[in-house]
Amino acid sequence: MTSANARWVAPRPAAAGTTWLYSLLPLLAAIALAAALHFGLQPAIGPFRTNVLMNIGINVILAVSLNIVNGFTGQFSIGHAGFMAVGGYTAAAITYYTSFRVWGDALMHGGVLSGVPANGWLTAGDALFVGSCLAGGLLAAVAGYLVGLPSLRLRGDYLAIVTLGFGEIVRVLLQQSDSDIPYLAADVQRMSVWQMARHLGGALGFSGVPFYTTPFWVWLFAAVTLLVAFRVKRSSYGRAFLSIREDETAAEAMGVALTRFKVRAFVLAAFFAGIAGGLFAHEIGTALNPRELGFMKSFDIVIMVVLGGMGSISGAALAAAILTILPEVLRSPPHVWPLGLVAIVFVLMVRRKAGRRAALTLAAVTVALEAVRAAALWQGVNLADYRMVLYALSLVVMMIVRPKGLFGVREIWDYRPLGRRRAATVAVG
Amino acid sequence: MMEPLLDIRGLSISFGGLKAVADFDLQLGPRDLQGLIGPNGAGKTTVFNLLTGIYRPQAGSVRLAGRVLTGLRPHQVAAAGIARTFQASRLFGNLSVLDNVRIGCHLRTRHGLPGTILRTPQQVGEERAILARSVHLLSTFGLQDRRDELACNLPYGDRRRLEMARALATDPQVLLLDEPAAGMNPPEKLALRELIRGLRERFDVTILLIEHDMGVVMDICERITVLDYGVTIAVGTPAEVQRDPRVIEAYLGGDTVTK
Repeated sequence: MTSANARWVAPRPAAAGTTWLYSLLPLLAAIALAAALHFGLQPAIGPFRTNVLMNIGINVILAVSLNIVNGFTGQFSIGHAGFMAVGGYTAAAITYYTSFRVWGDALMHGGVLSGVPANGWLTAGDALFVGSCLAGGLLAAVAGYLVGLPSLRLRGDYLAIVTLGFGEIVRVLLQQSDSDIPYLAADVQRMSVWQMARHLGGALGFSGVPFYTTPFWVWLFAAVTLLVAFRVKRSSYGRAFLSIREDETAAEAMGVALTRFKVRAFVLAAFFAGIAGGLFAHEIGTALNPRELGFMKSFDIVIMVVLGGMGSISGAALAAAILTILPEVLRSPPHVWPLGLVAIVFVLMVRRKAGRRAALTLAAVTVALEAVRAAALWQGVNLADYRMVLYALSLVVMMIVRPKGLFGVREIWDYRPLGRRRAATVAVG
Repeated sequence: MMEPLLDIRGLSISFGGLKAVADFDLQLGPRDLQGLIGPNGAGKTTVFNLLTGIYRPQAGSVRLAGRVLTGLRPHQVAAAGIARTFQASRLFGNLSVLDNVRIGCHLRTRHGLPGTILRTPQQVGEERAILARSVHLLSTFGLQDRRDELACNLPYGDRRRLEMARALATDPQVLLLDEPAAGMNPPEKLALRELIRGLRERFDVTILLIEHDMGVVMDICERITVLDYGVTIAVGTPAEVQRDPRVIEAYLGGDTVTK
């Protein structure tokens, strides 16, 4: 289509109609997925598993967004929970206090999608909830910009320390907020916005936030996060991110403005972390308090990214799902041999000759775990009491078996079970 | 005389007490092909680093088509129209050959992050143009069959060519090549001579070339600058430089000129 001319000429835009169609079609798919999980899966699995389903979605958002910083641009941020906290508290405060101002209480005013079919399809409450999540995301993005601008000139360990410090500052500031959360409409009416921002529950946490979060909203935002991450990764803009990870000097020589691009990756990641925080704040069964969103949470997210493979979006999402389910599954440890068998067959199919060693390792791990299980049964030890040990142990084993993470820098579909492996990225269609 | 395309005057830098480059002057016109040679440590790569903004010169100026580039950051220099390759290969190893070249193209695009997320017509159009241009560049350098391989898996000669393709993807006016023939076998070197000569017309670029392989330099360069300990000791045509006694003494180290 372009002639072999020497100079780059700004190309004509693609045809508007079909391009916009392809642009928006995945959004419809995202809504369909969210609706399917909400109306199809939720009734079938009961409230406890529904909560796990929502936690998976929230963790997918967190892992996939952190992957934009740690995986794409190769920076090392360990303060992601700080952005989550900024977004979560912002969203919680907006929903809580606005509800009082508008309806005189902080009860649910959502519709079907927020789990209250009696109120109709889309209500003002839904709008308030989505709006507050987006506002949380935006404030987190602003925080990302403020942290990123001075600190992203740093590399590696130094940046990690700055992000860690940021997360701790957020935690301590929230802890110092006023723990008196007003629960009478008259009290809220008297408060100024500034006072509201200071009454965030302190160390006790922000209680009384209505439970708007449902599988629909979680997975809608998760699907959008995934969509954005994929579009960024497979684009000219995203390749600039990747080039920073590969070689900063060469990237700069190719015209990539290092600091600007790093800050943008940081802001984008912070935005989605803020939204995840908003969803977390409105979820039933979670405690929105500073401890929950401390650096342990940041490390959980980092582990998901590392385990999935730095730069692999599908890897981060899958790792987020596995690491969310694993602690729950370990409450009553099941037999591992069926899973082990599947994994061994899979490894042998994917890697054939080279897979033999991995398959042996997997077999050994499976046998060892079954032995532990049998021994526990024999000795009358309740394995569920040690589930976090088992969780940590499985992390160690996974990192030994696959040090580059589940998929390395590739995506899950870059693996052809029966064919030659392809390069990490392919041409845009 | 016309104003030169690239006008370097009095470029100097020292590290500690060591004068790495002193008073470097060079004027290049459109589509010139100039060599820059000198023994190891003569300051050739330092000149490239000064030109591309990696080092800040302590004195002197660089102008490209009248615009002062001194003090710009490397990405701004690239945007202004100077592209380079690196002596030690600095490819994006975990990315495909095609993506390496496509990254070079990003500089000239106009869409931003919102366009990328929304896949706007402008972004899609530019993405297509990038692909077309990159494929064209890869075939120019004979790399079209390797486009989906990871750059780190390429043999040495291919890496060198990929570096050049990537640099040209930024659509430069001046191309700085830092030892493009290093690590190539003799047939590859012969092909390289023709390739570099052809680049000037095909991509309308001025080329400044650092090269240790005298066969390549003497064959393709119109003029050559010789550096020794950061000082320019000779400038001239290949024939003149080869006869220059100071060059023979300082650089070629004795009585004969190797061919």
